[in-house]
Amino acid sequence: MMTLSKSTPSAAPADGPATSGVPISPPARKRRRRLPRNASLIIGLVLTAIFLTVALVSLFYLPSNPNIPVIRNRLLPAGTPGHWLGTDVLGRDIIAQLMVGARTSILVGAGGATLSLLLGTIAGLAAAASGKITDEAISRGADIMLSIPGMVTALVLAATMGSGALTTILALTAFFTPSFTRVIRSAAMGVLNEDFITAAKLYGRGKIFVLARHVLPNIAGVMIVQFTLYFAAGILTEAGLSYLGVGVHRPSISWGLMLNEAQQQVGVSSPLAIWPGLAIVLMVLGLNLLGDGLRDVLDPKLARRAS
Amino acid sequence: MAIYVLRKLVFFLGAIFIASVAIFLLIRGAGGNVAAVVLGKGATPEAINALAHSYGLDRPLFVQYFDWVGNMLSGDLGRSFRTNERVADLVTARLSVSIPLALSGLILGLIIAIPVGTYAARNVGTPSGAILALVSQIGVAVPVFWAGILLSLLFGVRLGWLPTGGWTEWSVSPWGAIRSLVLPVLSLGLIMAAVLIRYVRSAVLDVMNQDYLRTARAVGMTRTEALLKVGLRNASLPLVTIVGLQIAELIGGTVIIETVFSLPGLSRMMLANVAAREVIVVQSTVMLIIIFVIGVNLLVDLLYGILDPRVRSTR
Repeated sequence: MMTLSKSTPSAAPADGPATSGVPISPPARKRRRRLPRNASLIIGLVLTAIFLTVALVSLFYLPSNPNIPVIRNRLLPAGTPGHWLGTDVLGRDIIAQLMVGARTSILVGAGGATLSLLLGTIAGLAAAASGKITDEAISRGADIMLSIPGMVTALVLAATMGSGALTTILALTAFFTPSFTRVIRSAAMGVLNEDFITAAKLYGRGKIFVLARHVLPNIAGVMIVQFTLYFAAGILTEAGLSYLGVGVHRPSISWGLMLNEAQQQVGVSSPLAIWPGLAIVLMVLGLNLLGDGLRDVLDPKLARRAS
Repeated sequence: MAIYVLRKLVFFLGAIFIASVAIFLLIRGAGGNVAAVVLGKGATPEAINALAHSYGLDRPLFVQYFDWVGNMLSGDLGRSFRTNERVADLVTARLSVSIPLALSGLILGLIIAIPVGTYAARNVGTPSGAILALVSQIGVAVPVFWAGILLSLLFGVRLGWLPTGGWTEWSVSPWGAIRSLVLPVLSLGLIMAAVLIRYVRSAVLDVMNQDYLRTARAVGMTRTEALLKVGLRNASLPLVTIVGLQIAELIGGTVIIETVFSLPGLSRMMLANVAAREVIVVQSTVMLIIIFVIGVNLLVDLLYGILDPRVRSTR
């Protein structure tokens, strides 16, 4: 959800049918199907691939310059040849703006998710593998950071650094890293208790070697799933910040910014307020479905526990 | 229990201390020369120094930090540079908008999410369960401001039932104030519900698989009876935690919704002061919000300790 906010997808329960435990009643169990699971993976993949392609294409081709006003073309309706989704109040093509917006969303969302994945993995592994004091310090630190609303972090950063794509990525990193740290820590702890880790240690392998060679590959599934979900949360957050005017601004274009402009310049009755919102929903939905689908494929244990 | 409470209190105070240092350093350290920024480009060095001096900004940072904390503890949140208004007054004036909005949004979210989530859990694997899962999945992907825009498009523009924005003071017309809050609360509540449904569903599913529920069935309760009498009480534990976790989310949503509907709430005041680089106002308001969120989480932890004796010994 809008998630300007401290969205914590990690804590969100897995979706889909329950697959374990005491059956509620025998007929109910028969009705459970595996199909919806695979469907969410496929739909998620398709939606995500479409947006990635659009963002890639926008690097080479745009129907027109999305930043140069063409006053004679102002507020053309959808369906106008050459401007199939119409134009905004300054005559700028909507499709071109949506295409650049996809690029911004992916850049900022993936940027924030990647940075926090990196930092969270380092902190999480350190907490899991070190002594009690380090673990306690990292875990409590993450708790404290989690209790600061992401929106507030973003506002403070915008007030001090000025707004822009980089500030937004940093704000996302600041509030995703603690949740990542927690997830990685608990996943790594699970692996560290396994027998093959003891064997590796007895064999004389060092801590770093064990973490890199044995723990990381075993938590890779969790990492990929979490990355996908935070990618989605990052896109929602970026849209919200840009809508508020403390995120991305021109000449960069963001879907949130487009909605802000649409509402301020033409009022909500305009179809201009529809397209960017639809793009956000489809992109975020695609990534969330992809994350849920991947969870089943890569991490069946987690999926079962959550249901 | 005493040790549990003590541990939580120590964490609460420690968290507030660390957050206050972080906020202070971030805003003062990265903000540059505050007085110069406030006065703008045309200001003479004398004027900048005079303003800095009158607000104590020329003193060492740690002196300023302790001054700020000391003043906050005695209830003085500082003053705005430009208007010289007291931050405490600025904040309290806005709470009559923000608190009803956030609280009603959360309550509406829970009112929708608890029955729908329970229903979804009981119908796992059936078409209606799958449809509910899909709807909440889509709801999670809808940005709260877009929900607001769509709702005001429908109820404000097309049907003309409710204002699409603006605010009527409670003192002028309570009915008008409520009318201006309906769409914002609805947007916030629906989006909160989409997130909460997933948690409620998984909490109830968890409970349904427990032995005590089977026992309840065995002693003759129907499925619904067992779920309501035994299950709901147990599912309420994780729910309390979720509400605590969602407070930060709720504040984020409130900030945006106030902008969508041009409500003169706390976050609009914050945004304006961020733009004007009113560091003292931003710093104190941010600190208040953080104390509130950490405080709610403390209450949640304590409540959890009371509701579930096992928590006290293990945490």
